[in-house]
Amino acid sequence: MRPVIAVSLNGRAYQLEDEAHRALAQYLDTAERALAGNPDRVEIIADLEQAIADKCDRFLNAHKTVLTQTEIALVIEQMGPVETGTDGAAATPDPQQTGAHRDGTTPAPPKRLYQISAGALLSGVCAGLAVYFDVDVTLVRLLFVIAAILTGGLAVLVYLAMMFILPYANTPEEVAAAAGLPFNARALIEQWKRKAARFADAAAYAARRQGSSAEHARWHAEWRRARAQWRSEWRKNRPEWHARRWHSWNATAPPPPPPPLPPAAAFLSGLGWAVLGILVALITLAWLVALLSLLATGALFGWSLPHLPLWAAILVLIVLYQLVLSPLRALRYAHSPHLYAYRYRSHALADALVGLAILALLVWLLDHHLPAVEHVLSVLSERLSSLWRQVAAPSR
Amino acid sequence: MLDEPKLQALRKGFLEFLVLRIIQGSSVYSADILKRLAGTEFATQEGTLYPLLSRLRREGLLDYAWQESDSGPPRKYYRLTEAGANRLAEFNVYWTRIQQTISSLGG
Repeated sequence: MRPVIAVSLNGRAYQLEDEAHRALAQYLDTAERALAGNPDRVEIIADLEQAIADKCDRFLNAHKTVLTQTEIALVIEQMGPVETGTDGAAATPDPQQTGAHRDGTTPAPPKRLYQISAGALLSGVCAGLAVYFDVDVTLVRLLFVIAAILTGGLAVLVYLAMMFILPYANTPEEVAAAAGLPFNARALIEQWKRKAARFADAAAYAARRQGSSAEHARWHAEWRRARAQWRSEWRKNRPEWHARRWHSWNATAPPPPPPPLPPAAAFLSGLGWAVLGILVALITLAWLVALLSLLATGALFGWSLPHLPLWAAILVLIVLYQLVLSPLRALRYAHSPHLYAYRYRSHALADALVGLAILALLVWLLDHHLPAVEHVLSVLSERLSSLWRQVAAPSR
Repeated sequence: MLDEPKLQALRKGFLEFLVLRIIQGSSVYSADILKRLAGTEFATQEGTLYPLLSRLRREGLLDYAWQESDSGPPRKYYRLTEAGANRLAEFNVYWTRIQQTISSLGG
């Protein structure tokens, strides 16, 4: 079962699958932007919609009433990017905004440095840097750690600064921009066409070579080369697929026509967003202090660890941090004041609740089945309550 | 080689001329213009043609009239205005001259 969205194309009603609707809305959005400043914009858009409707009609009949993503992608490809004329009559808008150029090619969009939370260990700064410079994220992390040691912790401050300054790449477009890839339906289709063509070539080659076994080895080498190329391209474009996959998990849509948020709700969600942000920042700070104290003294706030080597302690600390923070992040996302998140707020809330439940279950299980953990937890709770007494005592 | 941006730009410049040529004589539906161009070096898509038609109309070279169609809503049928016909004649003369120049300069 798939949700269907009804749209009006130049006055006629059409039913589109969600993805198809998104692609079409994006195409028309781009068209509108390309025609910004054109006095006949409304009329041209109506003509374009009419042409799209005509093309859609070919896919529809009495037994098929909904347009799929593939069909819409075909229609959009047939329509081609909306291009404005060369000479002054049509105002040529800023090429960076139109996305589609007169010569039919999409220019490489400007790269932007973002944080990318998909696959992030801490906050996504390293992932963002890795995508920006097109290197492996592990390498970036390693460099950061080495830099942190060499600069006596200065790099950690830099990381913290970037964590609060860099924007998150939330939409697939933003993730694509982080890698400097164009993100539009046309680019995606062309990418797939290239891949399909290469695959067809390889298949034809295979068929030709099948007969002679002497040539088989050569074919095999060729095939391996093609596969390697394919893979490297896939790796290169991974952020984009990442974005799409992430998009289906976290349901961050490319801005759909956003429903306006009532002011009170907007204020509340903004407040929740800010408070949760501060909470996340505080936890991160506490965690960093704990990590530093562990590294500096081999003990956690003066409390030496029972039968636990240092590396294991660090590992436990990292895992704990992730476990605690992931539901908080999801909750914060649920409170995101960004309009595009509004539609999916319930998902994020459910994500957060499930995350918290799993965390609680995990702690409970460990507490009951691992004596070492039970010991650590009881010591920890003792410490915390003594700390609380110290804090609370003067106020009495 | 034909995809070279320079040649692409060259073809782009001719498009307006070709559209005027296709429209001359009778009134033409936009899909027919695309059909005539399809399969040639000047194959064009709606995304390019519609803004171009709109600009030519604004410049007073084209005009359109709504005509009922058997299937679907009424369609725009384009025809040349007097200015459009004049422009086309100029274009034709210019094109002949360019061709002569090119062949006289070439080996």
